[in-house]
Amino acid sequence: MTAITPSTALWYASRATGVVSLLLLSLVVMLGILVNRQGRLPGLPSFAVTGLHRSLSLLSVLFIAVHVATAVIDPFVSIGLAAVVIPFVSAYQPFWLGLGAVALDLIIALILTSLARAHLSRRVWRSVHWLAYAAWPVALVHGLGISGDLRGGGLLTLAIGCALAVGAAGLWRLAGAAGELPRAERAAAALDGIRRHARPTMRGGPGGTGQPARPAEARRATRPTPGDGGAR
Amino acid sequence: MTHNATLPPPGPQAGQDAAQQLTERWRDGRPGPLPRLMPAHEPADLRAHLERFGAPPYRGAPRRLIGDVEAAGLTGRGGAAFPTYRKLAAMTAGHGPAPVVVGNGAEGEPASHKDKTLLWFSPHLVLDGLQLAAEAVGSVTVGLYVHRDPRLYGWLEAAIGERATAGLDAARVELIEAPPRFLAGEKSALASKASGGTALPRFKPSRASQRGVSGRRTLVQNVETLAHLALIARHGAAWFRSAGTQDEPGSMLATLHQADGRTGVVETTLGTPIAGLLRLPARAVLVGGYHGAWLPAEQAGRLPLANAALRPLGAVVGAGVLAALPADRCGLAETARVASYLALESAGQCGPCFNGLPRMAGALEELAGPRPDPRVSADLERWSGLVDGRGACHHPDGTVRFVRSALRVFADEMDHHARGSCTGTSGRPFLPLPGQTPLDDADWR
Repeated sequence: MTAITPSTALWYASRATGVVSLLLLSLVVMLGILVNRQGRLPGLPSFAVTGLHRSLSLLSVLFIAVHVATAVIDPFVSIGLAAVVIPFVSAYQPFWLGLGAVALDLIIALILTSLARAHLSRRVWRSVHWLAYAAWPVALVHGLGISGDLRGGGLLTLAIGCALAVGAAGLWRLAGAAGELPRAERAAAALDGIRRHARPTMRGGPGGTGQPARPAEARRATRPTPGDGGAR
Repeated sequence: MTHNATLPPPGPQAGQDAAQQLTERWRDGRPGPLPRLMPAHEPADLRAHLERFGAPPYRGAPRRLIGDVEAAGLTGRGGAAFPTYRKLAAMTAGHGPAPVVVGNGAEGEPASHKDKTLLWFSPHLVLDGLQLAAEAVGSVTVGLYVHRDPRLYGWLEAAIGERATAGLDAARVELIEAPPRFLAGEKSALASKASGGTALPRFKPSRASQRGVSGRRTLVQNVETLAHLALIARHGAAWFRSAGTQDEPGSMLATLHQADGRTGVVETTLGTPIAGLLRLPARAVLVGGYHGAWLPAEQAGRLPLANAALRPLGAVVGAGVLAALPADRCGLAETARVASYLALESAGQCGPCFNGLPRMAGALEELAGPRPDPRVSADLERWSGLVDGRGACHHPDGTVRFVRSALRVFADEMDHHARGSCTGTSGRPFLPLPGQTPLDDADWR
């Protein structure tokens, strides 16, 4: 019954690519958060993190395309072409499939704006890119709801693992946003942190800078600052 | 002839007779030798301006002036030296609403005074240039962007009012206040401020020329460039080219900081020997301001003030700041002071800039001290490479140019510091910096 036959191959392919897409999308979201926080991966320069984020998102597009195409072509259930992009119009599992369509639409918007980024203002690109935080949970719920695959066994462990990892990354992102300094204070905070670790100089005498570490220290006297957030 | 850079204009001083003669030569109205842009002695009000120059020579239709500007070879005097005619021509191409024209007098560079001095001495030449540039690109929305300085602001308001009464202006000029930040005069920061936002540099590709003030095409020209344009409109391209070099024609304003502490603004021709402007010897010469480069004084003394000669050495004419570092100062200490100022002037938008520049400034402070960690200069070189070209604007690039030149020119001094000594005998700061740096996002408004 569970054997892969020519008639069930498409159905299996669709479910398998769906699972791989979930894994890839989770990695893409986590890497995106890492890019946002200017984090590094061991052994990789920071621009390589951006490159990895981009490559994996394009790879996941490929898997999603196969996932969608096989589901449509498969004769086991009939999913119309319209239901692929228009949410909640499918005869089969209208709600759970609809969530998939929503996630797909969001991902298409993300990919298109990123490919056209050179022609868009940063503000437009950024606001569209916020949709990533909506697309990922919608896609996960789509996967959990539409098939029993993710509701038990090893795949359930995978789904829970993805959710925990992405959730933790999201919390890290929020913590970063909360600790973020106003733009005008970032350079001063960074300079402060560096000077605190600096050794004494010939300040005041010949060869000294003549001017002590004026700006940020003077500011600290009048206003409490949120620590070292900008000096990462 | 040196213009005192502080406002109001200079009182009686040595050499006043010579200044008086220059004023008379300027007044007699013939297109003669320098000075072209400014009377030597007192600011030109509208009467003095009209006596010498007459009303602005409108061409009667857009585009007509652009050919003259092209033939003259005028380039932007704000620092980038971009051909002015190309900016004008770009405004007349394309569709959409008429472009906005803004004169940029926001001189954020603390060592430069030439734009403020020009606006004080010859406001009407700048305003003529604004009107003529606006006509050339078919614009009726015209602004003048200057720093908050109550005296200068009031003087310009009065000048604009006088012109309105005399019916000289085709378009009404709106004064726009620039916040007192180093980067406030950056083109995209200007466009943002003039649109009602903060004066922060914007990310390309929202280039100011295509999407500037309120999303309209925007022509931003330095005020000195506009003054030259007003003269080209009157006297023609051949006259403009009678000064300067073949490749870099015309005259330019320069701010000089002599080793004896005296400061002033002069009008000079491009290609003038630097040795004729600064009194040398000196310990080193800073060319092009805080986004420019240090040169050994002997080398600078053999060079003309022209990009053709300076660029191969990593320096630029920029906005025409020249400073002769006195023999009793430490070049590393001066560079460290300026570098921390530049780091604090980061708009805080781009990580490489607001993280990298403070790191570089901290490293320079260590180099300016005794027995720095021997790895520091290698760190500085590495960080320079990581920061260069990584910002929305050119602030990181210019700062890196300045810091790298110090590492080259003050290599001997670094050896002294490594042994725990310093050849500077005076700890008094030399290069000018503003008293305090605002650190609030509101200060960009």
